[in-house]
Amino acid sequence: MLWTLIRHELLMNLMTFRFLVTVIASMSLVLAGSIVLTDNYERRLASYNEDFQKHQEGNFSGKTYSSFMPRLDRAPNPLSVFNQGLDKLAKNSLQIKIGEVPFLWGDVNRNTGFSNPFRYLLADIDLVSVFQVLFSLLALVFAYDAIAGDRENGTLRLILVNHVGRGLIVLAKYLGAMLCLTLPLLMSFLLTLLLQLQSHAIHYGTDDFLRIGGIFLTTVVYTSTFYLIGLFISSVIHRTATSLIVSMFIWMVLTLFYPNVSLFLVNRFIDTEERVTQADQAIDQILEQFYWAEEVPGDPFENPPLLKGSKAGAGSSSYTHLKKNITFIPDASEIHVPTVKAYFQELTSGRIWTAGTVWRIRENAFSETYIRKSNIARNALRFSPTGLYHLSTEAWAGTGLARVEDFFKAGRQYRETILDYFYDKKAFSSRQWFASDKGAVRWDDIPRFSYQPPSVFEDASNRALRDLFLLFLFNPMLLMITFAVFSRQEV
Amino acid sequence: MLWHIVKRELFEQVNSLRFALAMLLTVFFMLVNAVGHIDEYKTQQSEYGQKVSAYLARLEQNSDNLYKLVLDGPGELHKKPSPLFFCAHGSENNLPKFASGKPAGWGMSPVIDGKHYTVSGIWRLKYNGFPSIKAKDMFPVFLKIDWILIISTVLSFLALVFTFDAISGEVEHGTLRLTLSNAVARRTVLTGKFLSSLISLGAVFIGGVLVNLLLLYLSGTLQLNAQEWSRISSIFVVGLMYLSVFIALGFLISVLVNNASTSLVILLLIWVIWVILVPSMLGTIMSGLNQPSIRRGPSPVYFSRSGLKERYMARGLEDETPTRERPPTPATLLWAEFLNEEAREGARLHRAYLNAQINQIQIARELNRISPTAIVQYAIESLAGTGFQRHLNFLKNVERYADEFNDFLISVDRADPESPHAPFVREGMSDKPVSFESIPKFQDSVRLGDAFKGAMLDVTLLLLFFAVLFATAHVSFQRKEI
Repeated sequence: MLWTLIRHELLMNLMTFRFLVTVIASMSLVLAGSIVLTDNYERRLASYNEDFQKHQEGNFSGKTYSSFMPRLDRAPNPLSVFNQGLDKLAKNSLQIKIGEVPFLWGDVNRNTGFSNPFRYLLADIDLVSVFQVLFSLLALVFAYDAIAGDRENGTLRLILVNHVGRGLIVLAKYLGAMLCLTLPLLMSFLLTLLLQLQSHAIHYGTDDFLRIGGIFLTTVVYTSTFYLIGLFISSVIHRTATSLIVSMFIWMVLTLFYPNVSLFLVNRFIDTEERVTQADQAIDQILEQFYWAEEVPGDPFENPPLLKGSKAGAGSSSYTHLKKNITFIPDASEIHVPTVKAYFQELTSGRIWTAGTVWRIRENAFSETYIRKSNIARNALRFSPTGLYHLSTEAWAGTGLARVEDFFKAGRQYRETILDYFYDKKAFSSRQWFASDKGAVRWDDIPRFSYQPPSVFEDASNRALRDLFLLFLFNPMLLMITFAVFSRQEV
Repeated sequence: MLWHIVKRELFEQVNSLRFALAMLLTVFFMLVNAVGHIDEYKTQQSEYGQKVSAYLARLEQNSDNLYKLVLDGPGELHKKPSPLFFCAHGSENNLPKFASGKPAGWGMSPVIDGKHYTVSGIWRLKYNGFPSIKAKDMFPVFLKIDWILIISTVLSFLALVFTFDAISGEVEHGTLRLTLSNAVARRTVLTGKFLSSLISLGAVFIGGVLVNLLLLYLSGTLQLNAQEWSRISSIFVVGLMYLSVFIALGFLISVLVNNASTSLVILLLIWVIWVILVPSMLGTIMSGLNQPSIRRGPSPVYFSRSGLKERYMARGLEDETPTRERPPTPATLLWAEFLNEEAREGARLHRAYLNAQINQIQIARELNRISPTAIVQYAIESLAGTGFQRHLNFLKNVERYADEFNDFLISVDRADPESPHAPFVREGMSDKPVSFESIPKFQDSVRLGDAFKGAMLDVTLLLLFFAVLFATAHVSFQRKEI
């Protein structure tokens, strides 16, 4: 029986004009979007590759330990085509320094693959926003007359004359329409994949396919949520015209009004400036204390210079605490080398300690300001299906704040590894810290940085599934309410 | 008769559920807009004031010597914030807030007669100053809630919801046939329906606007003069024109399609494409296709590579140093000529680089104009004094000022009887202090004429859109079987 009803609904939907519109609209928009976004990704990838090459050569070309300040690059995420999140916005490189713990929250210069800075005047879009707008709207268009229309036509009465449960009718309508909506959605995803696989820049692995599958699943659940909202309205309101208008207003509120307004207000009224300035002042104080403190032994390169007659090579900084590369030390100054070694050992341990202290202050300040604000915004978004959809797909695609933070966490860990390596090598108290006259440092056994993004399972279990579950929760609730309303109604 | 129809339609519209919902939604959006912008202009203005006083302080410091002004230039010239920021954000956060009249960034010290002679380039305009992405901007992306968003997205959507069943609904119910059985011309019916839709939407719009302005006024944020009031009213009029386009579109589809729900589906589709997708996609496409012809701005020492320096070397530039002799020696004149030409050429290259960037955006904007949403956005931005068009006007102001500043430097030098009058080489110029009061100060001004001129094209295009859509709707209504 159910199958007959579903087949009937399916046929009714497939033959309609709106199904045709759905297919054409989703396909053409996804086609245009995929081409543009893939091109943009390729551009960013090219610029990343260029930087990466440059930095790879530079990172291990230093001759002394102190000149080791590698730059690490964050690769653009190919899934940003689906949900761009913070992928374009956040910093895409970091530098490992002895005296500073790398962190995400700094000002970023605009190096996102375009040479024209005015380009930011033109808006950007990703595929998830296309689905977000289009499929929620189409779901409502499919649903508004599902029950109200049948009632108006009198067909509902005819069906109920037969021996059919009301629950079955609601279920059949839901399944039939969802099949109809899933079809163009599936086609759009396949089209996107087809286009992306044509590109030489994108290579998807199993992990990525699972992520795309996750995005697809979330989109289906999202569409179904809106369909059920429409079905509910259609069962409550008896006239199709009114049901349509109410659906449209609810769509406006859920997709446009609520997410944007909540974010706008959170952004406007949660002030971070004060706390950040406060932290900056505290940090400045510490840095000042350290670099001007009396206990720090005097600079061995100034009044009077201990290593008289020495020559500095390429890549040497005029600041003593930064890179030093002395290529020649005359014999007469050789007796001062132990003093200089001791100086650097003390200076470096002081710098590492200061960096740690500064980082603790920063970490606190960030978690109380930017991270807190971002979490509030996220939680505010969770009240609307559109917000949940956005957050969940962001987690699937791995373009959210958590992923970017993750990269910086890996950078911090790498810094720790390097420090341990230097301790093992006794690098801080070695001659090669500042001088390469007795041979340059060999970087053969230094740990290399590799960033392994979290697997799809980690991302899913930590973030994506939670929001997907919340989104899904709307579905049985709405279905039950619709059923309850419908079964008590006079037809 | 027309008035009769308008009255009847209006009565029906205003009593409907959608009118109430539309009013509610618009007023809510407008309230959020007002709440979000309370005191924002004051903050912007005080920031601007600080920047301007820093600029004046620097100018005053440099005024103890004329040549210092020649080398360092006037400094950072800041853009004045618009009090109508709440109407149109205009991506101001992505646009430079200043242009800089800064030192050339090069110096050289050739050996002449066994001695180093040090010389550096004179000031020029540079157009960097694009803001970096701040840590606080790393936030889920959202649409800025300004009047543009409310008009272009919310109200246009409402316009379609108001009109999708204007004709098709009546055809379905059979009331249209009844109406036409009276001695009423079809065009009167259409015009009447159009006017009533426009009036009821206008009422929704004006309701929102009044709530918005009242709240801003009560909070003390809004202190507008006559000029700004005329801007706001023009924004309102442009908004109405934009809404008329969508009303006409709604009528057209409603005439062509006999089924009300089908007509809404088509309309929503057009709406999604026109309003949401075209403005955000075409730009991306364009900027991908069209790379600026110049990759980087000019290097500060471009002249040593471009052959400019060689040309002057051939004329004996580095044979003799300039002196303070009066009348100026040929060497002094030659150095002055070199420095002037270098500065002119440098400024030209900076400008050419800027032009290449601007052209790319202009092309994207031209293409975006196939969507009325982009058109109305550009028009309102011009009128509110924010956005790209305003930035171009600001750059024009800056250039005018740069000329004025140079003229002033020359005139001060002329007034000094002890100077050899060979600007702008150090030895050829007066080195007296300059009275700070007499230095022209940069005053960024926003002229109403510029704003209207900027919006002119867009307004014409909107009218064109409207005329085409309305005429088509009219013709198809005339030919329709009912």
